[in-house]
Amino acid sequence: MVEDSTQDELMALLGGVARQDRKAFQRLYEQVSGRMFGLCQRLAGQHELAEEALQDAFIRIWHHASEYHSDRGSPMSWMMTIARYRTLDLIRARKVRQTAGDDALSTLADERGGPLEASLQRDGSAALTGCLDELSPVQRDSILLSYYRGFTHDELSTALSTPVGTVKSWIRRGLQVLKRCLER
Amino acid sequence: MKKTPERIESLAAEYVLGSLKGLARKRFERWMMESYRVRQEVWFWEQKLGELGELVPPKEPPKRVWNAIERRLWPEQTSATSTSGLGWLWPSLGLLATAAAMFMAVLLVNQPEPERYPLLFGAIVQEDVKDPLWLVSEVGDANRLRLRPVAAEAAQPDRDYELWVVPAEGQPMSLGVIPVGDDVLQIELNESVRAALEKSRTLAISLEPKGGSTTGAPTGPILHVTRLYDL
Repeated sequence: MVEDSTQDELMALLGGVARQDRKAFQRLYEQVSGRMFGLCQRLAGQHELAEEALQDAFIRIWHHASEYHSDRGSPMSWMMTIARYRTLDLIRARKVRQTAGDDALSTLADERGGPLEASLQRDGSAALTGCLDELSPVQRDSILLSYYRGFTHDELSTALSTPVGTVKSWIRRGLQVLKRCLER
Repeated sequence: MKKTPERIESLAAEYVLGSLKGLARKRFERWMMESYRVRQEVWFWEQKLGELGELVPPKEPPKRVWNAIERRLWPEQTSATSTSGLGWLWPSLGLLATAAAMFMAVLLVNQPEPERYPLLFGAIVQEDVKDPLWLVSEVGDANRLRLRPVAAEAAQPDRDYELWVVPAEGQPMSLGVIPVGDDVLQIELNESVRAALEKSRTLAISLEPKGGSTTGAPTGPILHVTRLYDL
């Protein structure tokens, strides 16, 4: 998680960007592009598309910084969301499917001790931590595969040799359980 | 379609996850424009699921990404620097630029492709059981197969399940006895097994005496055969 002091700084930079301050924009890029690029690349599984998504995301941030407000989460999570949606759009528009870049997967198969688990445990403050444990393994895998790899219902259905209807209900139920847990 | 709270809740989550696609996604975006309540629900998920995104290790993007952003946002400025009264210098600079571009191109082409192993993923299922019995995945560079029991139930007391790679040709190759219950099994694949699996993509499970087959080939009935998919 990004610390509060950093979030305050990001908030100030984002304010600068909303006033079309180019210096603030460049500083913001220096601060957050690495995190955003990590996510784009994880999702896309390839450099070229990840770079394009990152470019598009920053152009969007430049034009829409004034639309950010605190109901949308921290500045970091707002920008990560922009990067993630843009990467998903490009993946779907190009119909690329990633074959490499596999840490995400290695963690999925591993109930305990994978890198994802480790970072979730390290970060005890993350609300999702305990809640993911309340899901059944298939619910959790389907949700994580969708989040980190951008899998559609059809792709999940193929990968898990399971009818689309069943996959859909794993995701739907899993998200319901997650929501109930997060609201507690 | 009516905007019931349940529907808003589940569609918002799927919208953020990205699994809501095509027309349904467009329709939901219209709902977002129409209703603050819908937008709030979307923001809730963007924040919560966003925590997953922040766990991905950062990666420095190449410098060219920033350059491209600047060019796209301020094209006039990028070209304005070239009219600085040093017009006489331009032809030679232009040549230099071409040379630099060619050099870049050579560098790019010569960069070795990172080695890529196909990643395999699949599930061992049984027709009358809703959840998969086991989930199988392969970790690319580690040549390791992970098998996670989901709905698998223990064999009879004096029996074990044994996992096999079924090659395109020849005898099945044993990967050993596999567990049911909560433990994830990790299997190291040696080169020949790895190569056979990559080619055939097929695994099978047989029912064997306790401890596994002693003959090196399946002796009991083959219970499941599954094909793995590239991720």
